[in-house]
Amino acid sequence: MAKTAKASKSDSSSKKKKMKKSSKSGPKAKDMKLKAPKENPFETIWSRRKFDILGKKRKGEQRRIGEARSSAIEKRKKTLLKEYEQSAKSSMFVDKRIGENDEGLGEFDKAIMRSQRERQVKLKKNKYNLSDEDEEGFEIGASLGRDDFDEEVPFDEDEEDYGRDDKSAILGQLNFHGSQNAQAGPMEAEENRKKSKKEVMEEIIQKSKFFKAQKAKDREENDELTEQLDKEFTSLVNSKALLSLTQPDKIHALKALVNKNISVGNVKKDEVVDAPRKGPIGKEKPDTYEMLVSEMALDIRARPSNRTKTPEEIAQEEKERLEMLEQERQKRMAAADDDGSEEDGNASDDDSKLIKDPRTISGDDLGDNLEEAPRTKLGWIAEILRKKESELEGEDAASTGDSESEEDDGEDEGNDDGEDEESDESDEEQGKTQTIKDWEQSDDDVIDTEEEDDDEGSGDDAKKVMKTKDHKQVAVKGKEVGTLQTKKEKTTVKHQQSELPYTIEAPKTLEEFTSLIDNCSDDQVIEAIKRIRAFNAITVAAENKKKMQVFYGVLLQYFAVLTNKKPLNFKLLNLLVKPLMEMSAATPYFAAICARQRLQRTRTQFCEDIKLTGKSSLPSLKTIFLLRLWSMIFPCSDFRHCVMTPAILLMCEYLMRCPIICGRDIAIASFLCSLLLSVTKQSQKFCPEAIVFLQTLLMAALDKEHRSENIQLNNLMEIKELEPLLCIRSSTVEIDSLDFLELVDLPEDSQYFQSDNYRASMLVTVLETLQGFVNVYKELISFPEIFTPISKLLCKLAGENHIPEALREKMKDVSQLIDTKSQEHHMLRQPLKMRKKKPVPIRMVNPKFEENYVKGRDYDPDRERAEKKKLRKRIKEEAKGAVRELRKDNEFLSKAKERERSLLAAEKAEKYGKDLAFLQEQEHAFKSGQLGKGKGQKRRR
Amino acid sequence: MVRAYKVKGEKRKKKGENYDKEEEIEVPLEEEESTKRVKTEHTAADTEAAERVVDLLSGIPVVAADQTNKAGVIFIIERASLEIAKIGKTYQLLNSDEHSNFLKKNGRNPSDYRPDIAHQAMLSILDSRVNKAGRLKALYVRTEKGVLFEVKPHVRIPRTFKRFAGIMLQLLQKLSITAVGKREKLLRVIKNPVTQYLPIDCRKIGFSHSSEKLVDIQDYVNGVNNDTNLVFVVGAMAHGKIDKDYVEDYLSISDYPLSAAYCISMITNAMERKWKIL
Repeated sequence: MAKTAKASKSDSSSKKKKMKKSSKSGPKAKDMKLKAPKENPFETIWSRRKFDILGKKRKGEQRRIGEARSSAIEKRKKTLLKEYEQSAKSSMFVDKRIGENDEGLGEFDKAIMRSQRERQVKLKKNKYNLSDEDEEGFEIGASLGRDDFDEEVPFDEDEEDYGRDDKSAILGQLNFHGSQNAQAGPMEAEENRKKSKKEVMEEIIQKSKFFKAQKAKDREENDELTEQLDKEFTSLVNSKALLSLTQPDKIHALKALVNKNISVGNVKKDEVVDAPRKGPIGKEKPDTYEMLVSEMALDIRARPSNRTKTPEEIAQEEKERLEMLEQERQKRMAAADDDGSEEDGNASDDDSKLIKDPRTISGDDLGDNLEEAPRTKLGWIAEILRKKESELEGEDAASTGDSESEEDDGEDEGNDDGEDEESDESDEEQGKTQTIKDWEQSDDDVIDTEEEDDDEGSGDDAKKVMKTKDHKQVAVKGKEVGTLQTKKEKTTVKHQQSELPYTIEAPKTLEEFTSLIDNCSDDQVIEAIKRIRAFNAITVAAENKKKMQVFYGVLLQYFAVLTNKKPLNFKLLNLLVKPLMEMSAATPYFAAICARQRLQRTRTQFCEDIKLTGKSSLPSLKTIFLLRLWSMIFPCSDFRHCVMTPAILLMCEYLMRCPIICGRDIAIASFLCSLLLSVTKQSQKFCPEAIVFLQTLLMAALDKEHRSENIQLNNLMEIKELEPLLCIRSSTVEIDSLDFLELVDLPEDSQYFQSDNYRASMLVTVLETLQGFVNVYKELISFPEIFTPISKLLCKLAGENHIPEALREKMKDVSQLIDTKSQEHHMLRQPLKMRKKKPVPIRMVNPKFEENYVKGRDYDPDRERAEKKKLRKRIKEEAKGAVRELRKDNEFLSKAKERERSLLAAEKAEKYGKDLAFLQEQEHAFKSGQLGKGKGQKRRR
Repeated sequence: MVRAYKVKGEKRKKKGENYDKEEEIEVPLEEEESTKRVKTEHTAADTEAAERVVDLLSGIPVVAADQTNKAGVIFIIERASLEIAKIGKTYQLLNSDEHSNFLKKNGRNPSDYRPDIAHQAMLSILDSRVNKAGRLKALYVRTEKGVLFEVKPHVRIPRTFKRFAGIMLQLLQKLSITAVGKREKLLRVIKNPVTQYLPIDCRKIGFSHSSEKLVDIQDYVNGVNNDTNLVFVVGAMAHGKIDKDYVEDYLSISDYPLSAAYCISMITNAMERKWKIL
């Protein structure tokens, strides 16, 4: 019941919608007119929208609640009320009249239907009944009783006529005859419409015959046409016009074709005439087009080759390579712990480096481009330490054996002569023969004597650059460039002097080498080395590697020996740097081993020396040169490096432990400081020794009385009380630049070291080194703590009496620099915080929402559960709807019952009243004594 | 993204009926929970605290991190143009860029539909240090249509406009947005007079460029008593001004007409400086 009610509702609403669409202006009025002639004011009220959402059309939004309610009641009246009324009855009247259930029919239609049915029923009966009434029944019976068999019997016409006559006469048979009539009428038309099978077939046959004939005719025409064409063509071929247009050999083909059709004789004649004329030409000249085709087929296809690179591209590649190298350097600086990865990188890099190196390192680069120097690979440490044993045993088995014995010798002699021993050490690894050592020894001796000879001579003209190593090298470089430019000319000249062989075997000992380059000029030495390297290039033969390693040792030894020579051949030393660097790049492991061995020796020697008091244990010139060389060969910025780390440590140890006694010591030590600066510049490693040493040097410039205030400082660093070696006492001082080499050459007790000029110049260099350190270490967090005492010291120094103006300026500059930098650091410093804790922000929570949210859709990821939920929801909805409908039904029913009851009650009351009135009247009549004759009286009245 | 579904509990059904009542119910519940939690953790916390005391040096106070009982700020964004419409078959948040034709067809002025203003304003409120420090008590948004909804201060509002439109669409249809993986309602449509949700001792300050009272917001804020809660009412409409009778004081904080987001950032900055939130 609920469903029906609902359906009716939706029906009505949809109807209404249609109405609304048709006439937007006044739906209400129209609806009302149609639905209910008398308006119920409640039905005119439309439902109101709660939320107006743009563009939304809701289903129920246009309904009128009052109307819906009344329509529901109507519906119930038709259904529920009827049922209710029937419920108490045991039987019911079923109206089976024809058409009574169909509401669409009018009274008249119903009547027609009924009469039709009546007649049909009659007809059925009549079919098999023998007619009782002759007049009527016969005709009908005859016409009806006939089978199909009789239908085409010629007396059709009679029947027809009869039927026609009958039509007017018998109205009752109207229907029957009508149908008959209809059958008879169209008979003629039927002939046109419906052909017999035979006729159809005939037609088809005729048509096919016609088409066949047509085809044959077409074919004939075609044949004729082609024949004609052929004739025309042959005539054309035979004509000279075509000949002139086409090529000869093609003509033959054409004619051959034509021949088949045309009489042979004719053609032959022509051919005979033509052939001798045209034939040879055709053969001689093959078709140019064909030639072209065949050529093209045979042509070799061009292969794409690599594009020639433009200079920019080459430069770009070079740049990229350099960038990659720099990246690697940075990585090493950061102290990667993984040995594995480093080794891998090493292995792959080595090969490429071997090829590239010769081009990238220029001999001019002595000191100023340190980036170029660290060509060699890092991460050797691990590898070298690991391989050391095996390599020493494998490759240099012989030499190590020798070196050990040598070592002993060296040490014996070492006691005699310090300088001597250092040179010995260099020999040891390479397995020097005794003779060479002797030679070296004698060489050193000679130098010693020479030294004494020209000891005072150089004192005066010590006016060359010495500040930092870099500075010095710039100067040197300038010189060098000049020499290099003239080199070519010189070499040609020198070739005349003493001709060098073009192929030189790699010398195995220093002796061989020295004999080879005896009497050679510097350039020739370099040329010789170059040739040796070219001839024994590692890439050429495998065994060359060993040779070159030996040669490298020899060369290094030669370098060491050269540094001990007096006078110093500085130019040759510089020239030697280039091949040494290149070669150590080629044999990195071996170079590292050599360097480490030498370092070890130097260190043990130093330890020995320091025990002997009163002797300057500062490094010799040779050691310094070697240190500088290594700092160029090996990467200084590595966090850990098998050569550079010990080298730096050694330098620091020198600075820390060696007592500074004379002016010469100061020169050497400050040079070491500048060396350290250049080494640590890139990695910004902190060398406290260098800083402390500089500080002590500055303190040495103070007067005795001022010094006492710095006791605290002295306590911090266990520094021996320095003599005021650098204290300037006279006011007339000129500042010169110092040449380190010359200073070193001077004897310890030279007068120059006592002069104020020297002191002032020394102070300048010290200040410059200090400035360098300040710039390098400005990033350190402890910068203020490290440098503020120095700044104070500088201020005090600047206050000294005899300090020259330029020096004072410089001091002030440096202390200013320190102050500003430490100021910056102080700015960034934050006070120490107790239990420093960042405030915790409130915890944020992400809201949950869907893209393209659709209302009513379940966003449960579990489809099954969502489905279930949906179904449950629908059940609930339906149940609610059903309950609602039932409630309404009940209400309706109870209303109906109530109405009935009230009706009954009213009836009852009325009846009761009537009866009562009657009785009252009677009583009245009785009481008034009118009972007997009352009637009569009444009537009368 | 999707939270785990739980079986609906009894508790929820009981309290579910009325949105207004929910808050009242919710608060005691939370408190109950917190007290329970405190009880359970009490012993552990005690021992921990004892250890801490041992560690502490005497005389150095440890900064108290508890800021819950301090006065806070409440923001009300008025006249936010957040309106949804059915465009084609889908519902969308109306927006002058995308729906100008639709709006014109429906006889609306496209330039009034600027949900991005509300988005920016909400972002600048929720991103502020005031909020991070837990001093933002509540955020209410009232749309042009009069729908009022509450945004919890710890919501992470989507930063892209598209996603913001999605969340608003869902909020305005579903009337609430829950947290991911939790029952907690982060955004909720609530019944209308916003004044019923404001604390008693609060000062309601509206902002309007048209106001005669031009002040330096920093000075003004500093002048307010530390204990009073402040309610800031900012309009998020493209044109016009807010005109609410519950606002006690209309301020103009700049000579220039400011965008809502910038005005809010000025306010929050002032509050941060006042409370020394770094």
